[in-house]
Amino acid sequence: MQSELRDPRKTFGEALVAVGEKLPNVVALSADSSSGSGMSPFQKKFPERHFEFGIMEQGIVGISAGLATTGKIPFFVAIAPFVTSRPFEMFRNDLGYMRQNVKVVGRCAGMTYSDLGATHQSLEDVAIIRTIPGVTVVNPGCPIEIIKATHAIAEHVGPVYMKLGGPKMEVLFQEDYDFQLGKGVTMMDGSDVTIIGTGTVLQKAHSAAQLLTKKGVSVRLINIHTIKPLDEELILKAARETKQIVTVEEHYLAGGLGSAIAELLALNCPTRMRMIGVDDQFASNGPYEELLGLYGLQPEQIAETVTTFIQ
Amino acid sequence: MYILPQEERLELECKALAARKNVLRMIKAGTSGHVGGALSIIDTITALYFKVMKIDPANPQWGGRDRFVLSAGHKCLAAYAVLAERGFFEKEVLDSYGSLNSKIPGHPDMNKLPGVESNTGALGHGLSIGVGMALGLKVDGGGQKVFVAMGDGELAEGSNWEAAAAASHHKLDNLLVFVDRNRLQIGGLTVDVMSYEPLYERWKAFGWKVQTINGHDMKAIVESATNAPAAPGKPTCIILDTVKSKGLSFAENQVDYHYWKANQDQMAQADKDLAEIEARLTCKVN
Repeated sequence: MQSELRDPRKTFGEALVAVGEKLPNVVALSADSSSGSGMSPFQKKFPERHFEFGIMEQGIVGISAGLATTGKIPFFVAIAPFVTSRPFEMFRNDLGYMRQNVKVVGRCAGMTYSDLGATHQSLEDVAIIRTIPGVTVVNPGCPIEIIKATHAIAEHVGPVYMKLGGPKMEVLFQEDYDFQLGKGVTMMDGSDVTIIGTGTVLQKAHSAAQLLTKKGVSVRLINIHTIKPLDEELILKAARETKQIVTVEEHYLAGGLGSAIAELLALNCPTRMRMIGVDDQFASNGPYEELLGLYGLQPEQIAETVTTFIQ
Repeated sequence: MYILPQEERLELECKALAARKNVLRMIKAGTSGHVGGALSIIDTITALYFKVMKIDPANPQWGGRDRFVLSAGHKCLAAYAVLAERGFFEKEVLDSYGSLNSKIPGHPDMNKLPGVESNTGALGHGLSIGVGMALGLKVDGGGQKVFVAMGDGELAEGSNWEAAAAASHHKLDNLLVFVDRNRLQIGGLTVDVMSYEPLYERWKAFGWKVQTINGHDMKAIVESATNAPAAPGKPTCIILDTVKSKGLSFAENQVDYHYWKANQDQMAQADKDLAEIEARLTCKVN
């Protein structure tokens, strides 16, 4: 049985309006991308706080830094690769090094643009942005989390990268869910293995964990919505208690959630690990769900990988 | 129309000389630095901080201040020299140039030094940042202006032209850009390396009000900056015709002095050159 599905961009856009009502300094920046980014309601409600620049992502990241120096809280939202890899140096210097209070949101991240191919996909955004000191990296895994995260990053002082998928997402959390930046969430407790999921494929990891539970495996499922700063305490505890960890993400294996966790565990608690994601290749094109399947990210495949991995 | 009185012009020339001496002081401490561009833009930065901009050295973060962004961040010796002269920090800090954890690195860091408004040095960033500042200040209606200094070699970075279009599209008439046209970059003449001439026509075509002045003429700098915007609703571009390494007899217009590793003889000559300017100006500079 599937629970309610919601559009992540629409959900974000509605949350941004609520944030805008609460925080008058929030402004929205568009690279000819507002409507596709869910920002039309914000633009309609606060036309004087919405700025259009056309397709100039490098310029906009710099402009957002300048706006932030005057006390504004800019939200710059566009297709993920165009706000991360294209303007990377602006992100690094103007937001990171200058420590500016700007929120960059990469939407339709991962393989959302499945049929448009690798130019529009982003499987490296977490890897590159998390190298920038002081930048918080958030990857919400359900519509409720998108709402909570949008409020949380607006109130957090400092540069943030938040990534959003495109396809509708399953509601996994209640409205009263306590979301805290930097704090992971144990969604299922267990002792045989820990599955750690994030973002768009949290729901796949969740379904896989349920399949495994039915087969008698005691699975601990952790949701890491904030990849930086990482909830080290929660992950180390899971490593010590379950001794085996599998990570699940719609991202390259290099530099993503699994990589961040491997860095943590290698130094603090060497642990058997398996990382599920896309390995060193430009992803192919085709229907989204089939692409996920091509890289082993469907629930049955995740469950199978975990079954063969655990001892 | 503002006209700079003659006695104030002389005063500013003396301040610029003091700032040039501060540049040498830093190079003596650090033994090398980007002297060429620093000395082509230093008169403009002096004019801004001593005459044109609303600032409060005792309160560098004062909300009502005008902003200065040094997009060609490698010219920061000039900015440090002027900020020190204007009282933003103790001059002893100048002697830390080149030392570990110095507040005055080879490219400026706003989180280390009061008065610095942005972390520039990677070229093609400053104008975008300045556009954001000008937009934020304009919508808040406080009347502050934003001044951005760019190099002419820097204009080859495409991001500048994104920002140039955005500034005129959003009618940022509180934004003023100086292009320090010293005509040289590391590899030689800018027109040979990658020409962006004719500068006047290019900026004009991007919707800016453009002016060309002598970038070492205090009267021209102060008056053009103070009287901007000459065209309401348009950002202003002032092309400064300048001399790279201005003031150092052996280095003026020499491409090799983009970055100067100073030896003792050259430094002695540099001191002598500035002493001669001082004698000519009949002002006493510490």
